[in-house]
Amino acid sequence: MNPGSDKKEIIGLLARLIVGGVFIYAGVVKALAPVEEFAYAIESYQVINAKLSLWSAYLMPWIELWAGLLLAAGVFTRLSALFNGAMLVFFELLLGQAWLRGLPVTSCGCFGSTGSNSIGHEFLQNIVLLALTALAFRYAGLWSADRLVEKP
Amino acid sequence: MIDRKTARLIALAGLLIFISTIMVLLARQFNLAPERPSPAFRTFGPESAKVSIYEYTDFACPACRHAALTVEELMKVYGPAIRISFKHYPLSGIHPWSADAAAYADCAGEQGKFREYGALLFENQEKWGQAKSAPPEFADYARKLGLDWTRMQACAASPEARRRVALDVSEADLRGVNATPTFFVNGKRAVGPGQLLEQARNFDNLLKGGKQ
Repeated sequence: MNPGSDKKEIIGLLARLIVGGVFIYAGVVKALAPVEEFAYAIESYQVINAKLSLWSAYLMPWIELWAGLLLAAGVFTRLSALFNGAMLVFFELLLGQAWLRGLPVTSCGCFGSTGSNSIGHEFLQNIVLLALTALAFRYAGLWSADRLVEKP
Repeated sequence: MIDRKTARLIALAGLLIFISTIMVLLARQFNLAPERPSPAFRTFGPESAKVSIYEYTDFACPACRHAALTVEELMKVYGPAIRISFKHYPLSGIHPWSADAAAYADCAGEQGKFREYGALLFENQEKWGQAKSAPPEFADYARKLGLDWTRMQACAASPEARRRVALDVSEADLRGVNATPTFFVNGKRAVGPGQLLEQARNFDNLLKGGKQ
């Protein structure tokens, strides 16, 4: 392996751990908090009604936790990176429509309902995470479960 | 046919998902949920009401102002079938005068006007909510309602009034309340007016029964 590709692999590993870690953190914080609070944050985007928001709030933290865990551990790394990236794009769409409509979203719900940055801040943060996800997708292999199971 | 490598990865993914789920579910068990009655001046509706609602509120929170209208509406529609108890949950980190407003509202309550004073606080929250120094509105509303302001000031500064608010906050923290307004409708949590209405619908039979 040449030093150039070595560096890229390390960058890919770091990107994987950062994005995976953020998703794990976001998932755990929300899974431990009362589901109704996250549902209330979802409601504030005015895309779905209270009942559907509640169901989404039950499901979303677990999906974030599992997707983050698989990406960080490097299980089906490229697929996991794609899935995490798709979730980030979905979050961007939600934030973007709230931003454009000028909705009074006091808590984005990204990391639970306690404390929240502005919608613009979260939007930019997700763009950075998307870029890191792209790196994780491109240079994914170092210290990954994918590579580990290849060994005899 | 799944090859050996894919099968191993699927097994590993399953294991990770299983372990993380169990760990989070175990951590959830540490949530405590005590329940303490609100003072009589903050409780409305008969003791025999079929549906009991506890509301954790912050007078400077815009969502609480909207929720107050929903609560009023529910009380009008279902009348004696509902008993509502207010609890304070001032978000002092973002609303610097909320804790003071809560103490003043309690002191107005001791003079029999908790709801009226609370309504004025909600109605004008953008005037006093982010004030740089002690808002004169607290005194204005007291005078408007014919309350004894000197008595209210002494009351709001007393350790008992502060303790009452602090106890509500501690209780809310123990119950995992992080957002306002949070309701407990016969013990079932609801956050915001939309979920409150959903819960009320779940108790529709009880509410209609209690009304007759």
